[in-house]
Amino acid sequence: MIVFLQSLISGILIGGVYALIGIGLTIIFGVMRVINFAHGDILMVGMYLTYNLFTLLGMDPFLSIVVSIPLMFLFGAFLQKVFINRMLGALPQNQILLTIGLGLIMSNTMMLTYTSDYKILTTDYSSSSFNLWGISISTPLAISFLITVAITVMLYWFLMKTDTGQAIRATAQDREAAQLMGINVKWMSILAFGLGAALAGTAGALISPTYYIFPQIGGTFTLKAFVITVLGGMGSIIGATLGGIIIGVAESLGAVYISSGWKDVVVFVLFLLVLLFKPAGLMGKSRM
Amino acid sequence: MKTILSPLKNPAGVSPVTSAMALAVLAALFLFPSFVESPYALHIMILLFLSTIQGEAWNIIGGYAGQYSVGHAAYFGAGAYTTMILMQSRQIPPWYGMIAGIIVALIVSLIIGAICFRLRGPYFVLASIAVAEIMRLAAMNLKELTNGAEGILTTEVPVFRIGETVITDFLTKVPFYYIGLTIALLTILATWLVQHSKLGYYLQAIREDQDAANSLGINLSIYKSTALAISAAFTSLAGSFYAIYIGFIDPPTVLALDISVQIVLICIIGGIGTIWGPVVGSLVLVPLSEALRSNLIAQVIFKAGLASEESGTGIFLKEHLAHAHALIYGILVVVVILFMPDGVLGWVKKLSAGKGRG
Repeated sequence: MIVFLQSLISGILIGGVYALIGIGLTIIFGVMRVINFAHGDILMVGMYLTYNLFTLLGMDPFLSIVVSIPLMFLFGAFLQKVFINRMLGALPQNQILLTIGLGLIMSNTMMLTYTSDYKILTTDYSSSSFNLWGISISTPLAISFLITVAITVMLYWFLMKTDTGQAIRATAQDREAAQLMGINVKWMSILAFGLGAALAGTAGALISPTYYIFPQIGGTFTLKAFVITVLGGMGSIIGATLGGIIIGVAESLGAVYISSGWKDVVVFVLFLLVLLFKPAGLMGKSRM
Repeated sequence: MKTILSPLKNPAGVSPVTSAMALAVLAALFLFPSFVESPYALHIMILLFLSTIQGEAWNIIGGYAGQYSVGHAAYFGAGAYTTMILMQSRQIPPWYGMIAGIIVALIVSLIIGAICFRLRGPYFVLASIAVAEIMRLAAMNLKELTNGAEGILTTEVPVFRIGETVITDFLTKVPFYYIGLTIALLTILATWLVQHSKLGYYLQAIREDQDAANSLGINLSIYKSTALAISAAFTSLAGSFYAIYIGFIDPPTVLALDISVQIVLICIIGGIGTIWGPVVGSLVLVPLSEALRSNLIAQVIFKAGLASEESGTGIFLKEHLAHAHALIYGILVVVVILFMPDGVLGWVKKLSAGKGRG
């Protein structure tokens, strides 16, 4: 029982970070109908940014998100303005290939700059943990979960209560109608991609104390991000949050009760089952 | 659209000049190893053949039927692993292994088709990736069968003989050259046959509009599965050939997502849904990535005096540029998608058409 609770809790904690990744992807998809295959690579860029802020300036990885969030936002806005924007009406396949290409450029540029060696960001609390009712909880995971919750709450507030947030949601609902209502949809797209990139970058920053940092790590997270968003329903933010937690828990339980080598298989099988039997996802409307 | 409207008869429609040129190229390809002895030149040619086989094979399902599979590593890996496992643990010669590989790939394609063809657009792409990833993870974890992350290494390829006559002992690259060339030609021929058959027209109708094709009485799942099966069979052949030629396989080199992406890029860069697109794509991609891999580009930079070999930048370039050959894939695909969506072949055609009018 204690093992079950233990893995459930750590699954939920890592699920929070997964939720951030998924929300980023789902916002981009919602507003632009573009599936961002470079999402994991953007996360990887965020990891390296955090790593550099830590090694060069000595900034704590959790505090440095104050710097990395705006930087990653600008990076995403740049990608949208220069590349993605030209492809908005194009075939979905070509959009996918474009983002795959951008991801390849990011990971290989990082490899050129930092080699493909694994980098480790060690803080004094990297491997520490605390006890809660007999369950041991990793400190960095717990901190990152709290930050995730805070960011998610702020994001909901932004999207639900502010004018800009409502304009973004309107664009996601119906691009043309939004444009007719006087919303600058191009600007909303830039904002959405910036937000998506900032969220992915934050997720990268939050996991950098616990994960190895290397240029090819992006692919794994891109795939996870898809699984999360499809599971929750493409375009649904609540869905992505739920999806993130579910995947985190499925992985964690899979690692304990099946084997750590097969835990990703569990995730992909889950993914295929959702695609086949509930393609709209848990919270989404069918967009088949 | 043009291909659909073109007359059904006169499938070839080639002028004598073109066919003479084609024959000359073919003759040159067959005689190449008698004139060029450099193993490196042969190696590049073999890589070109391999890339052509992969591209043409993908083209059948991706280009003609419009089903963008980004999971073709599944079939490539199926061929490679089947051949190697049979050869290493059962001592079965690779030419039988190749056939076994095709059978395995066909079975895999049926399963993947049953799952993925219910989905469309981006969902199809995602599902195809997921299935290939499951195969990669399975190969990592089924250690008794696949040797897991360590991969399978061959010591030597058994001598190929028919009856008592030794055909080749595989000690040089020449036999690989001819095997590669033969499979590449067969794949191009298969693509040509598909394009000029009823199947090809159905596939193109499916690509243009699935629902319209369906309402005209084209059975979507049968034709999409047929196209995928043909595509899988040739991709598996490419995988077997790769495994025997290189002599080493592990999950990252034959089953990874990168492999699937590279296969798609060959077609995108050359031109999707055309017979010669994958050939052009290979001619662009293989030399470029080899030049990077073998540090040729760094040498050129030094020769041109852009950076000195001893300087910090020079050492950096020498050490790292070779590892970044995938960067060129990234840059190429972005440029091609943004500026020449019909690939290099389509772009050249458009240029020459523009000239003709002007």
